[in-house]
Amino acid sequence: MSKFDAVVIGSGTAGLSAAVSLATAGKKVLVLEQHNMPGGCATSFVRGRFEFDASLHEFCSLGSPGNWAMTGKLLMEKYKLDIDWCLVPDLYRCIGTTRSGKHFDLRMPCGVENFIEAMEKAVPGSGKPTRTFIELAEECSGAYDYFNEHLLDGVDKKGFTYVDEGLFMKKYPNFLKMAEYPFNKVLRKIGMPEDAIDILNVYWTYIGTDYERLSFVHQAWMMLMYIKYHPAFTKRTSHHLTMAFVKKLQELGGEIWLNTHANKVVSDDGGRIVGVETEAGFVETHYVIANMNPQDAYNKLLDKRIKVPDREIKRLNAQKHGVRFFEAYVGLNKSVEELGITDYTIFMPGDLDTEKNYAYSKSYELNTHSVVVIYNVVNPEASPVGTTAMTFTITYTEDVWGTVSQRDYVKKKQELFAKVLENFEKDTGIIIHDCIEEIELASPWTFCNFLGTPQGTVYGFEMTQWDTMVSRLLTLRKEQPIRGFKTCGASGARGDGFNQTYLNGDDMAQLILEEMAEDGKEGK
Amino acid sequence: MANVKMSPIGLMDMLYFKNKKVKREQIIENTPLTALVQDYASNRQAAARHPNSQFFTIEDIQVRGKGDVRTYTLRRTDGENPAFFRAGQFVVIRQVIDGKLIARPVTLSCGPAMTLEGKIQLTVKRVEQDAFLSAYIHENWKVGDEVETSGPQGTFFYEGLRDAKKVIAIAGGSGITPVFAMTNAIADGDEDFDMTVLYGSRTKEDILFADEFAAIMKRTDKVRLVNVLSEEEAEGCEHGFITAELIRKYAGDGTYSIFAAGSQGMYQFLDGEAEKLGIAKKYYRKELYDNIGRPWMYPGYPMEAKDQVFTLKIKMCDRHFEIPCSANENILVALERAGIAGPNRCRGGICGWCRSRLLEGDVFIPEDSDGRRAQDKLDGYIHPCASFAVSDLSIEMPLKK
Repeated sequence: MSKFDAVVIGSGTAGLSAAVSLATAGKKVLVLEQHNMPGGCATSFVRGRFEFDASLHEFCSLGSPGNWAMTGKLLMEKYKLDIDWCLVPDLYRCIGTTRSGKHFDLRMPCGVENFIEAMEKAVPGSGKPTRTFIELAEECSGAYDYFNEHLLDGVDKKGFTYVDEGLFMKKYPNFLKMAEYPFNKVLRKIGMPEDAIDILNVYWTYIGTDYERLSFVHQAWMMLMYIKYHPAFTKRTSHHLTMAFVKKLQELGGEIWLNTHANKVVSDDGGRIVGVETEAGFVETHYVIANMNPQDAYNKLLDKRIKVPDREIKRLNAQKHGVRFFEAYVGLNKSVEELGITDYTIFMPGDLDTEKNYAYSKSYELNTHSVVVIYNVVNPEASPVGTTAMTFTITYTEDVWGTVSQRDYVKKKQELFAKVLENFEKDTGIIIHDCIEEIELASPWTFCNFLGTPQGTVYGFEMTQWDTMVSRLLTLRKEQPIRGFKTCGASGARGDGFNQTYLNGDDMAQLILEEMAEDGKEGK
Repeated sequence: MANVKMSPIGLMDMLYFKNKKVKREQIIENTPLTALVQDYASNRQAAARHPNSQFFTIEDIQVRGKGDVRTYTLRRTDGENPAFFRAGQFVVIRQVIDGKLIARPVTLSCGPAMTLEGKIQLTVKRVEQDAFLSAYIHENWKVGDEVETSGPQGTFFYEGLRDAKKVIAIAGGSGITPVFAMTNAIADGDEDFDMTVLYGSRTKEDILFADEFAAIMKRTDKVRLVNVLSEEEAEGCEHGFITAELIRKYAGDGTYSIFAAGSQGMYQFLDGEAEKLGIAKKYYRKELYDNIGRPWMYPGYPMEAKDQVFTLKIKMCDRHFEIPCSANENILVALERAGIAGPNRCRGGICGWCRSRLLEGDVFIPEDSDGRRAQDKLDGYIHPCASFAVSDLSIEMPLKK
């Protein structure tokens, strides 16, 4: 029988981060992955002469050697991963019509000064409030950094994450004052013109909540990271990123068992975890981190002898499932130069109206809001010479695809993409429909199939106005109440995204290390 | 530093922040303690679309051609509809023979609409060089037996967003099955394109699905059939090989896609003809040939390895095995012979289900069957179904269930 210090179930981004974090601390770790491939969303697939990245568009908060941002620090300094990064030079291009009826086709640059200048040019009078916005974002970013460093220091009397209010009052007063207000409310308060607000709202699908409701800090931090450190991605798709983790884990003596489903986390009668029942047999361990939605973990994985507190059941009933995607992976038989494509990311919401976009994302018919990523603009090796690899992403905030019939499924996918493609060609003037050499259309069903998440959601739980990142972080320990067992991933406190889930995996590894140390003292 | 007030009094903003987590606690506290939801519409749909296994009862067996081809009609044993699919896809038959699980892809020869009646059809040609499964099926499968397959797999299907509206299908021998499935789908309204089938057989006697094709062409004018006989001349049939000239004759003017399904030999010939036609890669699609063998036929093979038997060491989770591995067969066959083959689907190097980590030793991978990811090539991962031992080997592979 095999014995490990800890078992990580699921090798998605957070799971691999948790595993490498534990292995870095000297623990002997086993990762169980039910698929034959590791990585979860961080993976790729091959069609003809193309290899498509399943999910990574813009990695956030990387930074650069000597100046790593939050996630960059974790991956490159703490884990010492071997990764070839590509930095996207520009922020984004967005094409659409604002609520005031003004049509924009804008290219927004990276770099604080460039960005402010571009905003002023696009919407006269927005330069000054944009500078204020950047200042506030900097303050929030400092606060999030501090928060991140001290997240696990302890809890207050009521079990909330301890916050040194005095320090925050002194150093990050604006964070305390506005972090939790909706993004657009803050922008209005600092005098941002409405057209400028619409332009700053295009990122909403990255988090999945309209910006009339999303907390200021969440978007401000993310946007600042992109403006300052550039969006990033990896040279040989996100499978490269996954394999960097797998190799590090193996180098540190850990193992990953593929095609091996974890059937049950087993406890003794007292509720102490004693191991994991897997398809490859019983594995002894006292500590498990499950890279999955806690709803599924509690329903399907955990020994019934382990009591899940009522608060957890209520919490999961209260939370709303996050965003699901329709994704078109397209390989063209012409180069970006031949086609005249110069933008890496193009937001094409149609209407630059975050509330309308959110409302339409509950509908198959109305939703044609797409985000287009063209990898070869930055990475010539993204596909063979003379070709282009690109993806179109459409976001859903309800289980819209659940009612499609098996027979109509393919037609529904094709019709949707045809509409999106038509918009793309009309808005950009770039004609690609006659040079599609490979195409794969993935719907929420596809994500159900590969990820197994509820409704195929990729973003965990929606960051609604009451259920924000900050309030989840302040409640971090309350929501991991089972000793020796933690869940991690997009459904965790930090929400979705490669950067957030890598951080969340590390958070959960730290909680397990704490419990290991405590148990060690008690001689367990 | 910016000094912004959201409320008239800054203190209110601080309170707003402080109360946020408390309010969240209240919302959670006021949520009913009902059991957590276990399943959702999209998850159910996905499970029906992409089952890992399907169990069928053999309902009918039809003998075709010279008796070496049989069509099996299979009904889902659990009464559910079989997974809906794209015409041209295959399922993997999983058959235990002498206590060892053997898996081989077999094309679905019916149109997907048949799944709505609870059934599918598989057409199997008895191939002597791959005696593992086809011979077994022909000799053993009888009406009433239960058999297991995977869900639908493969990417050889028509895609209107990519392919020309006009398709020239080129089928050799039993390669007609995916093409026949596509013509069914056209007649049923599940696919919408024009298809001219250039169907190569040795003699008239070898032609499969002749009656069925006639019936389909009565139902739709989008399908046209041209029999091309290589070993005899017959009225109403073309004679010889399927050449560039013949393709041009039937394709006429305008853009067209070629869909080819046949043997390795046919593809080698056809690649040359496609070059003469100057057809873009995008308009030339080939069905995989499964269970790649005879590695010495491919350029770059180290001939000194041929006919040798090497030792293959395997780590599978916490288990270890050591088995013989013939240089002449792909590594997945060696694993199958030892009864320890892990997950696999396409048997053509492309799908990556059998992906394994090469720890020691060298393998030969035919270039056009190398469907590995770029990072996997650098990290020394292999697809055993398209890899041949050229030295003793050690691999780590996914769990055999």
